[in-house]
Amino acid sequence: MANSVVEVADDNGNVVSTKGVESALSYQDLNAMINLWGNDQKLQLEKDKLAVRKYFLEHVNQNTVFFHSLKERLDYLVENEYYEKEILDKYSFEFITKLNDLAYSKKFRFEAFMGAFKFYTGYALKTFDGERYLERFEDRVVMVALTLAEGVEETAISLVEEIISGRFQPATPTFLNCGKKQRGEFVSCFLLRIEDNMESISRGINSALQLSKRGGGVALSLSNIREYGAPIKKIEGQSSGIIPVMKLLEDSFSYANQLGARQGAGAVYLNAHHPDIMRFLDTKRENADEKIRIKTLSIGVVLPDITMMLAKDNEDMYLFSPYDVEKVYGVPFGDISVTEKYYEMVDEPRIRKSKIKARDLLQKIAELQFESGYPYVMYEDTVNNANPIQGRINMSNLCSEILQVNTPTTYNADLSYDQIGKDISCNLGSLNIAKAMDGPDFGKTIEASIRALTAVSDQSNIESVRSISDGNHKSHAIGLGQMNLHGYLAREQIHYGSDEGLDFTNMYFYTVNYHAISASNKIAKERKQTFDNFENSKYATGEYFDKYTEQTWAPATPKVKELFKKAGVAIPTQEDWAELKKSVMKHGIYNQNLQAVPPTGSISYINNSTSSIHPIASRIEVRKEGKLGRVYYPAPYLSEETWEYYEDAYEIGPDKIIDTYAAATQHVDQGLSLTLFFKDTATTRDVNRAQINAWRKGIKTIYYIRIRQAALEGTEVENCVSCML
Amino acid sequence: MEKTKLISRPVNWNKIEDSVDLDVWNRLTQNFWLPEKVPLSNDVQSWGTLRPHEQKLTMHVFTGLTMLDTIQGTVGAMSLMPDARTQHEEAVITNIAFMESVHAKSYSSVFSTLCSTTEIEEAFRWSEDNPYLQKKAEIVLGYYNGDDPLKRKVASTLLESFLFYSGFYLPMYWSSRAKLTNTADLIRLIIRDEAIHGYYIGYKFQLGYNEASKERQEELRSYTYDLLLELYENEVKYTADLYDEIGLTHDVKQFLHYNGNKALMNLGFDPLFPKDDAEVSPAILSALSPASDENHDFFSGSGSSYVIGKHEATTDDDWDF
Repeated sequence: MANSVVEVADDNGNVVSTKGVESALSYQDLNAMINLWGNDQKLQLEKDKLAVRKYFLEHVNQNTVFFHSLKERLDYLVENEYYEKEILDKYSFEFITKLNDLAYSKKFRFEAFMGAFKFYTGYALKTFDGERYLERFEDRVVMVALTLAEGVEETAISLVEEIISGRFQPATPTFLNCGKKQRGEFVSCFLLRIEDNMESISRGINSALQLSKRGGGVALSLSNIREYGAPIKKIEGQSSGIIPVMKLLEDSFSYANQLGARQGAGAVYLNAHHPDIMRFLDTKRENADEKIRIKTLSIGVVLPDITMMLAKDNEDMYLFSPYDVEKVYGVPFGDISVTEKYYEMVDEPRIRKSKIKARDLLQKIAELQFESGYPYVMYEDTVNNANPIQGRINMSNLCSEILQVNTPTTYNADLSYDQIGKDISCNLGSLNIAKAMDGPDFGKTIEASIRALTAVSDQSNIESVRSISDGNHKSHAIGLGQMNLHGYLAREQIHYGSDEGLDFTNMYFYTVNYHAISASNKIAKERKQTFDNFENSKYATGEYFDKYTEQTWAPATPKVKELFKKAGVAIPTQEDWAELKKSVMKHGIYNQNLQAVPPTGSISYINNSTSSIHPIASRIEVRKEGKLGRVYYPAPYLSEETWEYYEDAYEIGPDKIIDTYAAATQHVDQGLSLTLFFKDTATTRDVNRAQINAWRKGIKTIYYIRIRQAALEGTEVENCVSCML
Repeated sequence: MEKTKLISRPVNWNKIEDSVDLDVWNRLTQNFWLPEKVPLSNDVQSWGTLRPHEQKLTMHVFTGLTMLDTIQGTVGAMSLMPDARTQHEEAVITNIAFMESVHAKSYSSVFSTLCSTTEIEEAFRWSEDNPYLQKKAEIVLGYYNGDDPLKRKVASTLLESFLFYSGFYLPMYWSSRAKLTNTADLIRLIIRDEAIHGYYIGYKFQLGYNEASKERQEELRSYTYDLLLELYENEVKYTADLYDEIGLTHDVKQFLHYNGNKALMNLGFDPLFPKDDAEVSPAILSALSPASDENHDFFSGSGSSYVIGKHEATTDDDWDF
């Protein structure tokens, strides 16, 4: 076992001895110094490297349990119920030693203090008293690989290669929990329907508790629940609508946390044409009454095309009683396309309705986004038109990147299940775009990632929520994400959102999509199994592939062509697609859903990436997390040369972000978390314009709206890098 | 500077005499917040990890801050009102006074979320008995009740930009150690406000100062340094009283020097403390940054970055597609 303790000390010796002053500073101070200009008015990025070293010397190494050998270590961890014996038992000890050596031979080092700090506070296995570390980064990677490879040595090796090189990074729940005896689930994300009856509402709350206890974010659709003042048992004016349900959910989430690791988090979605929509939005008002104020529950609005069309003509929009809609159509409100049935419902006398101005709703949404960042927006028709799977998508999740079909669950009088419907879970993992492009075999990287994510789906079994476990067993849905787009572009000296930037994004996602489908097709062939109801999907009919077989996709700019060539990444041709189409139509694919681009918070720090595919929020990011306090994170590859390519998201503005996401969206079957950034000179009208633009360009969802307020001149902290605009 | 009673006159925001009034007004209203917005209860766990003497220190520091905000809200800001140069300035001062009361109330929110009633009462009793805190209040109140408008502004600026910071140090220190991070968010919102208040009152002082005669300027200058030193002397004792036990007195003093210099800058004067004595730990300095560039997600607190947006209706052009 390589002894990195000594190496860190060696590295450190050279630097600290020459800079005696710094040794007096704590690693927190050194880290904070990157946010302050040096005396020579230059960035002090090297201070962050010193912070990492200091952190290891003063904190990590002193608090890590030492073992004489790998054998001693594993025996101890198994005996004391830290590691799961069953996982190690699938391999010979010789192989585990080999894998361990492989991991340590890569000489992994944290690039940023933030990454190291995040890893050790949030991910590394600790003694039960929480005092000492039992794992280094390499150990965690090995354990994740062993868990996900399910006894297949070759897979374990390729996973160690992909993860330690930084090309593939599993999402937090997977990376955190794999191999640990005391652990939460590997799955990050759950989506539940709630139907218009008390059984379903209480089951929803129960499920929210169970799932957030297991570490996931949970989103619930409230669109089907009858509105405020609707009849109960035919007696008018009885229902109190959706707000009390939101309150119950909010309290449930703050009660359940993942072994104290993080607070439960939840979101609720509501269709824009639900009569409670305005009340729903007002819960996020700063001055809302405590009784209806929703502080920690996230909210999202499902926005059909018809709302946008009505707003275009500056007309009223009708809101429809879900109670009546379900009576008239025999299906829940959320399962109806409001756009399609709008005028029919307007003319239907049995459906109670009220009206508001469509533009007022959209302006109100923008106002709230200013105040609170919420609501998320899902463009319902865009999402459903792009959906290759049979069924309807009526909600998204906590990060607005999961977009899958669902079906309702019904209950018996004794609260047992009558018909178990299909709810959604999704496990995620992301590629580091720069590292993936640098890698030796792009296709292999993606295949290994798809297999790892598939293993998570196979190993997941959320027994406490049957609609989730059934849904998972049927769909094997996964979400391969991407991060470090801005990092890659900056490194290659391309401006985010420029022609070359858009060209690269388009071709990159195009290539990823090809390999992702290929990998899933390969798994289906091996296992002779597809996801449930594959035969009614647009993959089975081949229709999905039309856009790839009927036109040629190629880089439009010489620079991007050169980048792919230099990286040795082959761009799939029309013939490749035709071939793939044939194979998919014959053998199917194993995963109902393949890609989803999450916002990537913590894992992008560990991976030294810019998050997701949006631009950096700041060259030096100030990050606050419940567990960490304030930590400063410099953009990866930040230097004098890349400085100008690291314009921040507020400078870049919403239009280029939308264009970039639009280029990616066309190759992603699910969604992409899209945050829009505005300066505080923006008004609600600018936000509305961006929303219109996003909708027109085929964006599926909008995640947060961020407004940056610059410090008033004269009140800034002297020499603060992140204050500089 | 004498001021005769004017005829009552409605404030006309369409005729701005001093554009700083409007800028500051816009900024202050945009920054409006209430303590209920910060999920303080997320700090309950973290509070439990503080040792008893650390908890006690934190409570004392916050009662001290409550005291200052109470003075500033009820007496300080209001005492500036008669000297306002413009009607818009009066409006800004009402906002400042109100926000100071919001701040004072915020500390109570922190207390009620984290501590028991007995502890809270002990802390308030402490504030009444602590000689240095009382002295601090006495000095400032003395000048507020005095009859020199410019000197009142000096006292106010020193309070806003200097006196608060021996207290602000602690939550910033905790948050740099990953403790009480939501409370730190709330304090940062307060700091964001105080930074503007200090800047604004200092600016108004400078206007008056620049119009004054050479002798008067000299008088004000030496008065400012004298007052700062008087306050500083007391503040050093107050700081030692609070922070000796936890061993942070030296760092807090450096921080006081830094902010003392900053207060002088707000008044347009040269710094008093040498740069080396005003070296603040970078973690604290960075934590102070009032810009709302902090990044957070739904698993974390709500952050101190939040603004009320300007409403503007879309027009048909925006919908032209």
